[in-house]
Amino acid sequence: MVRPFAFWQLLLHAAPTDKQRVMHLKLVSSTTTTPETGTHVAKLPFAWIVSLLTALVFIYLLSSLPTVTEVGALQVSLPWVPALGLSLSLYVDGLALMFALIVVGVGAVVALYAGYYFDNSRELNCFYGQLFAFMASMLALVVAGNVFTLFIAWELTSVISFLLISFHGDHSEAARTGALRALIITAGGGLALLVGLSLMSAAAGTTEISQILSGAALQDHPWYTAFTVLVFVGCFSKSAQFPLHFWLPGAMSAPTPASAYLHSATMVKAGIYLLLRLSPALSGTPLWENGLMLVGLATLLIGAALALRQYDLKGALAYSTVSQLGVLVALIGLPHGEGLEAALIGILAHSLYKATLFLTAGAVDHAVGTRDLRKLGGLALALPGWAVIAALAGLSMAGIPPLLGFVAKEVLLESLLETPLALIVVVASAALTVTMALIFVWDVFLGPPRAEHHVHEPAWGLLVGPSVLAGGALIAGLGLDWLINPLISPALEHEAHLALWHGLNPPFLLSLTAIAIGVGVFALRHRWRAWSLPLPNAVSAYNAVVGSVEKVGDLVLRTQHGKLRHYLFVILAAVTLLQLSAGFSHVTGIEFQWDGELDLLRGLLLILALGTMIGSIFLKRHMMAALVLGVAGYSVGGLFLLEPAPDVALVQFMVETLGTVLIIIMLSKISAPQREAAMNDLWKQSRFTLYRDIALSAMVGVGVALFAVAAINNRAIAHTIATWHLENAVPLLGFSDVVGAIVTDFRGMDTIIEITVFSVAALGVLTLLAKPSPGGVIPKRISIPRPSPRLKVFQLGAAPDEPVDVQHAQETEGEELSFESHFSTPLTRTIAQLVLPFALIVALSQLFYGGEAPGDGFTAGVISGLGVTLWYVVFGYRESQRRLGWLKPRYLIGAGLILVIVNAASPMLSGLAFAAHVNFDQIHLPADLHLSTTFLYETGIFLTVLGCTSTVMEAITYPKEIEPL
Amino acid sequence: MNVFFALATGLMFAIGVFQLLRRDMIKAAMGFYILFTAINLFFFAVGAFNGQVSAYAGNLSEGTPSDPVVQALILTAIVISFGSYAILLGLIATSARRYKTADLDTLDQLKG
Repeated sequence: MVRPFAFWQLLLHAAPTDKQRVMHLKLVSSTTTTPETGTHVAKLPFAWIVSLLTALVFIYLLSSLPTVTEVGALQVSLPWVPALGLSLSLYVDGLALMFALIVVGVGAVVALYAGYYFDNSRELNCFYGQLFAFMASMLALVVAGNVFTLFIAWELTSVISFLLISFHGDHSEAARTGALRALIITAGGGLALLVGLSLMSAAAGTTEISQILSGAALQDHPWYTAFTVLVFVGCFSKSAQFPLHFWLPGAMSAPTPASAYLHSATMVKAGIYLLLRLSPALSGTPLWENGLMLVGLATLLIGAALALRQYDLKGALAYSTVSQLGVLVALIGLPHGEGLEAALIGILAHSLYKATLFLTAGAVDHAVGTRDLRKLGGLALALPGWAVIAALAGLSMAGIPPLLGFVAKEVLLESLLETPLALIVVVASAALTVTMALIFVWDVFLGPPRAEHHVHEPAWGLLVGPSVLAGGALIAGLGLDWLINPLISPALEHEAHLALWHGLNPPFLLSLTAIAIGVGVFALRHRWRAWSLPLPNAVSAYNAVVGSVEKVGDLVLRTQHGKLRHYLFVILAAVTLLQLSAGFSHVTGIEFQWDGELDLLRGLLLILALGTMIGSIFLKRHMMAALVLGVAGYSVGGLFLLEPAPDVALVQFMVETLGTVLIIIMLSKISAPQREAAMNDLWKQSRFTLYRDIALSAMVGVGVALFAVAAINNRAIAHTIATWHLENAVPLLGFSDVVGAIVTDFRGMDTIIEITVFSVAALGVLTLLAKPSPGGVIPKRISIPRPSPRLKVFQLGAAPDEPVDVQHAQETEGEELSFESHFSTPLTRTIAQLVLPFALIVALSQLFYGGEAPGDGFTAGVISGLGVTLWYVVFGYRESQRRLGWLKPRYLIGAGLILVIVNAASPMLSGLAFAAHVNFDQIHLPADLHLSTTFLYETGIFLTVLGCTSTVMEAITYPKEIEPL
Repeated sequence: MNVFFALATGLMFAIGVFQLLRRDMIKAAMGFYILFTAINLFFFAVGAFNGQVSAYAGNLSEGTPSDPVVQALILTAIVISFGSYAILLGLIATSARRYKTADLDTLDQLKG
């Protein structure tokens, strides 16, 4: 709402028009209804746009495939923290590109699916935030060219996975425990990985992945066993290998799109990726081959067996994912890289069919309201499209030609022909996979229909993404020569020759055997489901560890009694003791000179400051103590003025005033009886604790005094940077006010951070005291809903002008408006109205002439903030809110911060550094005005500080009733 | 600058810490504020020069200017300390309203 005349209305004491009043009431009422349920109509174009943008990235990545095939690897490297060997380098070879394509491609599908999956637009937005954060981290993981950037991305994926698993954690205990378990296992494994990668980098002498791969062989290094085992632990925890596999089924509390994306297609393959990535440097030893083979085979068998015992659709899929990941690990462990081709094609096939099946499970859950296999059946007629897709994905999973899964299984069996034991295990698990696929397709979509549920047709848009994936599995199976071989060859670093049909060879016969066994097991499923198998599980070990950590925590908590100031005493005492034990003695070359001179005026001010501070200890009334501290602040301001430091003195005086107003208003927000009680008990403590406190304070004081004396006596005055600043303010900036030059330019980056901190603090105060709703809207609650005979209840429907009985309001604890009644006289009202415009004029003059005279953006902001403060003090919250409606503090904060940052960044467009100084001398202004980036900078500071001060005042004068305990 | 300011800083720290350890939340907040002031005074005291004129380029010929660097540091520190003070008082007001007491010793729920 633009109100150009508001300023004059304010001067003329004009009441708001009726229209504005209506607007105000509308605003009030609109905040009472929360817009919770979003409609599909509003968000769907958004989902499509998001998904198509992701698809564009996919196409872009795909277009770089020929280059990667030709060059081998694309590399970029930017130094990040060179001292730590940390660089932001990218290493994109065939392997990284293949994984990146999976990450982005499945990501696009999942993004579209999610748009139709979530009913609630708030949930969708939250999900998108986490989804794309994950996509970015996962992409960073696969293209990372430095082991430490890889590690950071690795941990980021764990953290975001935690957030996604606990997506519904606010009302689901299972989601919380599942998320925590996943985080502890994967992030804990990540720590092992960090140590492993550090050792490996130390052994290789470089942290760059490209150099590790091309460098000397690491297999003979004495630390080889240590770092390989540690890397294994990291990879196994992430890729859910036995015995760390149990977090993955627990992760199924995540929304289904997240399960499909993170916990089948991408994140759980990070461990596989890293093993593949490092296999040129680490493979070829018995540890590598036997370790991977053993763990992989164990995982694959246990996963397959557990999968069949699940009744939850997603749980079954999760265990079958565990099993597939086991296959991949075992393949990487085959000697001479014989299993790599099978592993790569297996990753592709698994990502395509497993994501499809997960998304189908989500749609079934959506349609029927359950994922329990015992309650599902015969859905093919109700959900024909989904039945077709599930059948395609299931066929691919079972390894039936011509789908990609068939090719993957053929290559897998072929590569294992030499190792009979592994072959038997793999054939067995392939059979169980067939059973699993049959369970998914037959028991859900075919079989006898169950009448107990009403089928609610899912939105057609849900079907688009999974169809793309299932179709992909079909097309990839048929188009091996032109699609899969070119994709896999650069990753393998030799030509891949995959074909759909190799004739009636041993792998095909084995495959047929597996299918036959699988069908047989499926046919007998009603028999073996009743068996109980003593399958090993590490959950109990995990629970024991976590439980013992909690027990130790309980022991530590016993030492805590809850008295805050005793905690504070312990902290301060520990710091002091540390200082004492370090001592000053071992520091040589520090002088202590105890001579100094002090003129009378400075001495008086110093004594005044100290005396008032001591007085604040003993004064019996808070108000007096607050005022006395104000005197102390002014005395220090006087010292600044005598220095002479006019800029600082100006700010000190202004802020001291603000601070005193702040604490006095705050005093009125804490009920007087409570304050009196606290004050009466102030000295009620044992003699021992009193002496203890005095001793500690004295020790801190002496320590600080010694430190300060040493600091003053030993400053390297000859080398001070102050001289440089004094000499260069005019030549570089045209600023004769050197302090202003430092604040706005020389140390401009600090200032940006400082006003950001100040903004956060102001918003924090607002959140604490004015309590905005979760949606970010501050409810204009100005009534006390309790019936009170002495207080007129101010209701929403009433006109805002209706007077509140403020005289009596001060007696009820909520409506703390007592200061209004004392200060709101005709005289003070007139003064307040006059002061604000003058304060703004002074502020403007300080902005325009900040380079030559005392004052800058900070003082301008604080001065005009004082004008606003006066309004709040005199008129109180409601009237100030209403009549200063043109002043929108949060907009000012935002505008100021944006202005500062845009202004600092804009010189980069013309090739200058961030926050470079640009003088617009070609623009001629009257009255000796100079326009430069610094001026815009000061304006930004001014707006932010004004906005923050107004926000703080708005917050502390906000009337509010006592919350129930 | 001279040694008196350093000693005053030490004394202010002692007063501030003592106030911080009081039962009364408001007195503790005041202790915090005293510490803010003390730190600013310390920065002021370690300025490189004994200033005779203010740090303006036009004044440099007339005498030793005051140290502009510490002034810039203090200037922003003052504003930030106001923000922290506001947060602190906001927390105190909120907790006093929530637990119906301004006495730190009656608040003993921060334990295991």
